[in-house]
Amino acid sequence: MKPFGIRERMLLAALLPVTLVAILLSGVLLVGRVGDINDAHFQRARSLARQVAIASEFGIFSINTKSLQTIAAGYLQEIDVVSVVIQDANGLLMAKAGMQAYSIPSELVSSESHWLDESTGNEIWVQPVVATQIVLDDFFESDSNTARPVQILGHVLIEISRKDVILHERQMLLAGISATMGGLLLGGFLAVRIGQSVIRPIFRVSDMVVRIGRGELSARIDVQTNDPLGDLQSVLNQMASRLERGRDELEQRILEATQELRLKKEEAETATQAKSVFLAAASHDLRQPIHALGLFVYRLAQLPHDEKTHSIIGFLQLSLKALQDLLDALMDISRFDSNTVAVNVQAFPIENLLEQLRTGLEPTALANNLDFRVRPSSHWVMSDPALLYRVLINLTSNALTYTKRGGVVVTCRLRNGCRSLRIEVWDSGIGIAQEYWQDIYKEFFQIDNLERDRHKGQGLGLSIVDRIVKLLGYQLSMISKPGCGTRFSMDVPLTSPLALNQAAPELTDMSMPSLSGLRVLVIEDDLLVANGLTSLLKSWHMEVRLADRYEESLTMVEQGFVPDALLCDYRLRGGLNGLETIQGLRLAMRTQVPACLISGDTDPEIVKAAQLTGLTLLHKPVRIDALRSVLISLTREPVKPNGTTD
Amino acid sequence: MSFILNRWLSILILTLSGFGSAWAADASVVVVSVSFNAAYQEAASAVVSELKRKGISEKDVQLLTVSQLLGFPQKPVARLYVALGVEASELLAKTEFKVPVLSALLPQSGFERILLQSGRKPSAQFSALYLNQALTRQVDLIQLAMPDAHRVGVMLGSVAHPSQQMALADAVKSRGLVLVSHVLAPEESIFTGLKSLLDESDVILALPDPQIYNSNSIQNILLSSFRAQIPMVAFSPAYVRAGALLAVYSTPGQIGKQAGEMVFEVLQGRPLSSPQYPGEFTISVNDQVARSLGFKLEAEVLSERLLRLEKRR
Repeated sequence: MKPFGIRERMLLAALLPVTLVAILLSGVLLVGRVGDINDAHFQRARSLARQVAIASEFGIFSINTKSLQTIAAGYLQEIDVVSVVIQDANGLLMAKAGMQAYSIPSELVSSESHWLDESTGNEIWVQPVVATQIVLDDFFESDSNTARPVQILGHVLIEISRKDVILHERQMLLAGISATMGGLLLGGFLAVRIGQSVIRPIFRVSDMVVRIGRGELSARIDVQTNDPLGDLQSVLNQMASRLERGRDELEQRILEATQELRLKKEEAETATQAKSVFLAAASHDLRQPIHALGLFVYRLAQLPHDEKTHSIIGFLQLSLKALQDLLDALMDISRFDSNTVAVNVQAFPIENLLEQLRTGLEPTALANNLDFRVRPSSHWVMSDPALLYRVLINLTSNALTYTKRGGVVVTCRLRNGCRSLRIEVWDSGIGIAQEYWQDIYKEFFQIDNLERDRHKGQGLGLSIVDRIVKLLGYQLSMISKPGCGTRFSMDVPLTSPLALNQAAPELTDMSMPSLSGLRVLVIEDDLLVANGLTSLLKSWHMEVRLADRYEESLTMVEQGFVPDALLCDYRLRGGLNGLETIQGLRLAMRTQVPACLISGDTDPEIVKAAQLTGLTLLHKPVRIDALRSVLISLTREPVKPNGTTD
Repeated sequence: MSFILNRWLSILILTLSGFGSAWAADASVVVVSVSFNAAYQEAASAVVSELKRKGISEKDVQLLTVSQLLGFPQKPVARLYVALGVEASELLAKTEFKVPVLSALLPQSGFERILLQSGRKPSAQFSALYLNQALTRQVDLIQLAMPDAHRVGVMLGSVAHPSQQMALADAVKSRGLVLVSHVLAPEESIFTGLKSLLDESDVILALPDPQIYNSNSIQNILLSSFRAQIPMVAFSPAYVRAGALLAVYSTPGQIGKQAGEMVFEVLQGRPLSSPQYPGEFTISVNDQVARSLGFKLEAEVLSERLLRLEKRR
C-alpha cells in the first residue's frame, strides 16, 4: 500500500484537530442541550401535575365532578398532555380527560411519582392532592404543638407525551450534526486552501528537480511573490541556469572537438581513398606487365636452351612465382574484405582434406628435413571444404616454414560431447612471443624476417586464415612459447556420415588433356600481353585470333571465325568492357560460347559481376597452369545454346 | 414592650428552672405550661403580672413546663397549681394533689374530655377557665354583626356531647334565632354536612372541634362558605386570617389575667371558682371578606356593642 503523500499528510494534520474539536464541542453542546430539554420537560411535567393537583383540591373536597372535569379537560389542552385522571382518596374516579386511562398504583398514593410507559412512550405523573394546610396556631387543637399530618384528598394522574421532546432532541441532533459537518467542511476547505498554498510550492520545486533530473536544464520555476519557498525556488533557478550554461559550454566544446575530428577523419579518408586509387592503379599497371612476363617466361622455358640459360630461366620462373604468389594473396584478402566469397557448407569426411594436406606438403617437409605427420580421422564435418582446406594448408605451411627442426603434426579429436571436431596444428618451431600474439594476423607481419626473405612468404597467410575462420564462424585459438613451438586449433561442427559414399570434392584436376586444335579468340588491348598470350596459346597448338576491342572481335566472328573459347580482358579500348564484349559476342554467335574473363583489377565489383554472369574470372598475372586448367574445363563443358556456365 | 417583657420572663424562667427544686417549697403558685412558646409565655406572664399587681411576689409563682415537671422526683409543694394548655391539664389531672388545680387556656371540650378520662368532677379542687367563648356571646355577636341572619348553622362532630347540643340550641333560641345543626357521622365527609348547612343557613357558627375544624380542612371549609356567600363566625384569629368573616376570642394575655384573678382569690383563702368562660374578649374582622360579602364591620365597635350588651344582661 502506498504511504500517505505530502498532500494527504497536510490535510490530515489540518483536519484532525478541527474534527476532534468540532465533534467534542458538538457533543458537549448536544449533551448539554438534550439535558436541558429533558430537564425543562421534567420540570414542566411536574409543574403541570402539581398545578392539576392544586387546581383539583377544592373540586375533590367539594366533590364537584363538573369542576374537576373542566379542570381535566382544560389541562388536556396543554401541549403534550395526553390524558388527565382525577380521583379521590378512596380511588374513586372523579374526572377523566383523554383516551388513555391509567389506574393509580396504591403504593404511590402518598407521594409524587412518575414513570415511563414503554408501550406508548408517554410519561405518567401521579401527584397526590393535598389539603392546603393553614397554621392556626391556637389552643383548640389538642396537639397544636406538633404539625398535623397532611391530608391527602385524592390523586391526579397526568399522561404527558414525549413526542415533542424526542422531536426536539432529534432536531438538536440534526442541528448539531449539521453544525459539525459545516465546521468540518469549512475546516476542510480552509485546510485544503492553506495546504495548497504550502504544497504547491513544494510540488513546483519537486517537479523542477525531477525535470532537471531528466535533463531538462531549461526548466525554471515561476517564482511567485509571497511564496513560502520563494528563496529556495530562486536558488534552484540559479542552479539550473548554471547547470544549463555548463552543459551548453560542454556541448559546444564537444561539438568543436567532433568537428575537428570529423575534419581529420575526412582528411584521413581522403588520403586513404587517394592511396587506394593509387594502389589500385599501381596494382593494375603492375599486373599487366607481370602477366605478360609470366607468359613470355613460360614461352621462353619451352624453347631449347643450353644448361646455363636453362638455369637462369629457372630462377626467372621462381622470381615470377614469388611475384604471382604475392599478388594472389593480396587478391584473396581483397576478396574476403569485400565479402564476395560465397560459403558453400556441406557434409564431407575430413579425411579427404587431411589426405590432400599430407600429399601437398610432404615434399616441403622432406625438403626441410622435418617430421611431418597428419593423423588420420574418420569423422565427417559440416563446413566449406575449399575454405577449410585453405585454412589448414596456410596454417600447416606456416608451421613448416617456421620450424627449423623437429616437425609438424596435424591432429583431429572430438570435443563438446562429440558435437565438434577440434583440428590442431602443432609445430616445434621458433614460437611466438606473447607480445606478438595480437599482431600475427596483421597483413605482412612476420616474426624474425626483418630481411623480408621471400622464402618465408609474404606475411599474408595468417591474415587470410583469420578472415576465413571468421567467415566460417569458427574460433581460432593459438598458444605458443618462443623456442618451443606453436599450436593453432579450431572447432569444426561434426555431422553424421551421409548414406552415399560421396567422393572427395575435386579441388584440382590433375590430368592435363591436350588443347591442340581448339580455336580461341583473344580480346586484349595491351599489345605486350596480347603477344605473350598468343604465343603461349599457340605453343599449346591452339588456333588463336587476336582482337583489341569488341568491334574487331565481332568482325572476326561475323567473318566466320567460330571460337571454341573466348579469352577476354576486362578493361578494353572502346566503350565496352570485357563482360559486355563477351555478352555481345555470345549474342552475335547465338551460343553460350565458353568464355574466361581476365582482369588486372582487383575491384570487388568486377568479381561480383563475373559471379553474377557465371563467367570464370582470372586475375592477372595469370598462372600458366591455371589458365590451361580453365581452358580445358571450359572447352570440355557442352556448349549450351542459351544457358549459363557455372 | 412585649419583647422586653418576654425576654425578662425568659431569664426569669431559666433562673427559676435552675434553682426550682431549692425554693420550690416556698412557692405559693406553680404554673405548668405546655411549652414556653410565645402564647404560653404571654399567658404565664399575664398570670404573674396579675398576681404581682395584687401584691403577690414573683417568688411565690413558679413557672414550669410539662417536661420539667415530669423531671422532678417529687412534685413541688404549692397552694395552687395552674395548668396552661390541654397537656398540662391532663398531667395535673392524673397527679394526686392536695391543692386545687386550675386548668386554663384549653377549650371546654378538652376539659370535659380530661374530666371523663381522669374521672374527676369540676370542683373547688379541679376547675377550669375555658378558652372558648360562651355560646351566648357568640350568638349575640352574630346578631350584632348580622342582624339579617336568622338561621345559624352549626356543624358538630360525632363525639359532640348531647348537653353541648342542647346548650347550643338554648342559646340560639334564646336570642330568637333558628339553629341549623348537622352532626357529622364518623365516616362522613365534611363537605356533605357543610353543603346542607350552607344551603339552609344564613351564617355558619364554627365551634372548636378538631375533627371538623383543623389546619387541613379550614381552607376548603372557608372556601366553600365563601363561594356559598355564607359568612362564618369563628373562634380564633387564625380563622379570620384564613377567611372567616369574624371571630370572637380571648387572647392568652386576657386568659392569663383572668386566671391570675382566680388564683388570687384562692390565695386569699376562697375556694377555687367553678369552671367558667373567659370574661374579656377580642373581636377580629376580615375586612376583605366583609367587603366581599357586603358587610361593614369594625372590630372595636362590635366589641364595645357586645360588651354593652353583655353588661345590660
